[in-house]
Amino acid sequence: MATNIPSNLKYTKEHEWALVEGDTVAVGITDFAQSALGDIVFVEVPDVGSDLKIGGTFGVVESIKSVSDLYSPVTGEVVAKNSDVEGSPEKINENAYESWLIKVKIKDSSEINKLLSAEQYQEFCNSSH
Amino acid sequence: MTQLLRTHLYDEHVKLGAKIVPFAGWDMPVQYTSVKDEVLAVRNNIGVFDVSHMGEFFIEGKDAEAFADYLVTNDILSAPNGKAIYSPLCREDGTVVDDLIVYKLAPGRVMICVNASNIEKDFNWMKSKHSGFDCSFTNLSNVFSLLALQGPKAFDTLKPLVNELPELEYYSVFETKIGQHPVILARTGYTGEDGFEIFGTHQTIKDLWQKLIAAGVTPCGLAARDVLRLEVCYPLYGHELNDEVNPFDAGLSWTVKLNKTKFIGKDVLQNKPSKYKLIKLQLDKGIPREGYPVLNSKNEIVGQVTSGTMSVVTNKGICLARIQIDKAPADEVFSIDIRTKAYPAQLIKKPFVTGGHK
Repeated sequence: MATNIPSNLKYTKEHEWALVEGDTVAVGITDFAQSALGDIVFVEVPDVGSDLKIGGTFGVVESIKSVSDLYSPVTGEVVAKNSDVEGSPEKINENAYESWLIKVKIKDSSEINKLLSAEQYQEFCNSSH
Repeated sequence: MTQLLRTHLYDEHVKLGAKIVPFAGWDMPVQYTSVKDEVLAVRNNIGVFDVSHMGEFFIEGKDAEAFADYLVTNDILSAPNGKAIYSPLCREDGTVVDDLIVYKLAPGRVMICVNASNIEKDFNWMKSKHSGFDCSFTNLSNVFSLLALQGPKAFDTLKPLVNELPELEYYSVFETKIGQHPVILARTGYTGEDGFEIFGTHQTIKDLWQKLIAAGVTPCGLAARDVLRLEVCYPLYGHELNDEVNPFDAGLSWTVKLNKTKFIGKDVLQNKPSKYKLIKLQLDKGIPREGYPVLNSKNEIVGQVTSGTMSVVTNKGICLARIQIDKAPADEVFSIDIRTKAYPAQLIKKPFVTGGHK
């Protein structure tokens, strides 16, 4: 399981991925997460300008059967949200790593070091499931 | 933790890559590939569910029909042989022990199929009411496996696999064989589509399952089953029905035959006004889930969602909700509180989806 874990991304234990691009991060859910959820039918993310805290919930993804909270990998302000994915949440099932949900302007760059590397995330998935 | 039970098809589910979850004390397949695909297979084509966890009781002897009729609120005595009858099973105070289907197999021979989570509770309850009736009463849940073959192609798919299959009406039952092995075929189901429920011994049902899968029938899990039943507004015990509500509270007045001479719960049910009613709500945005508060136009709580999901067919949020009759708004304007935000919800009078059953 969980073989699709790109090495250029950072990860959380709640199965979000984070792509660091300068002083912002793009955030989505991992392939492992989309596979566990099944058909994703609804995404709710905060508006641009919202303040997020590292580890705080910032929205939900819903499959037909369940609701799952989304957790922010960093502290900062939402600078973009992906309305394509909001409108067609099944895109997350099709390609989890192209379907970013929000972009966050990083407030404290040292937080990036607290995130899991691809290797660490792989290990986490193997040990917890 | 108690060991979870497994149906005799467990290995088949694992082979097919099913995701297995605990349900009602059983390890059951919740989905194989995709809930959406499984729902659409049943609506448009054909799917099969392993529902062997459900319970089968048999009543046999002179008073078989009279005993069944006394136990449940619906009318068993007047129904012809070969009919299946859906009914709540109530206590003296009108609360619901379970909902079930009574199958009139032959004169003096009745089968009752009950929810998996309630097998022991139902059997003990019924047994406690058995004295005075000249009939046997046995729990054969461990002897039977059960498949639900559902969808517009059910008849054509099943016909070549059984010794005989007449044009059964919806909600009727027929005993036949597969080769030398007896099976009970009922034209019933929990999806709103045409289909059959097939009761037989474990090996007979396992052989049939393998033939159906080999014939291209889509294996479907409990998640698809829940969406299918909710789209056509069938109640589920533990959600719309429970130990605290009566059949009227759950929109099942059509199953309570107060003109019957006697049945358990009649005295209370004939005098009891309902406190609750079950309504159907549909949302253009947001997915209602069990327990979410239902609000009126002033944002006051009037009830709660009992089951909710995203409809695969309509692509809208749909739910059943139990509201207090004395708080039911005259303007019929509702919303649902989803994560502290009120989402408008439209009151729907007919089921969200019309099934194709005959």
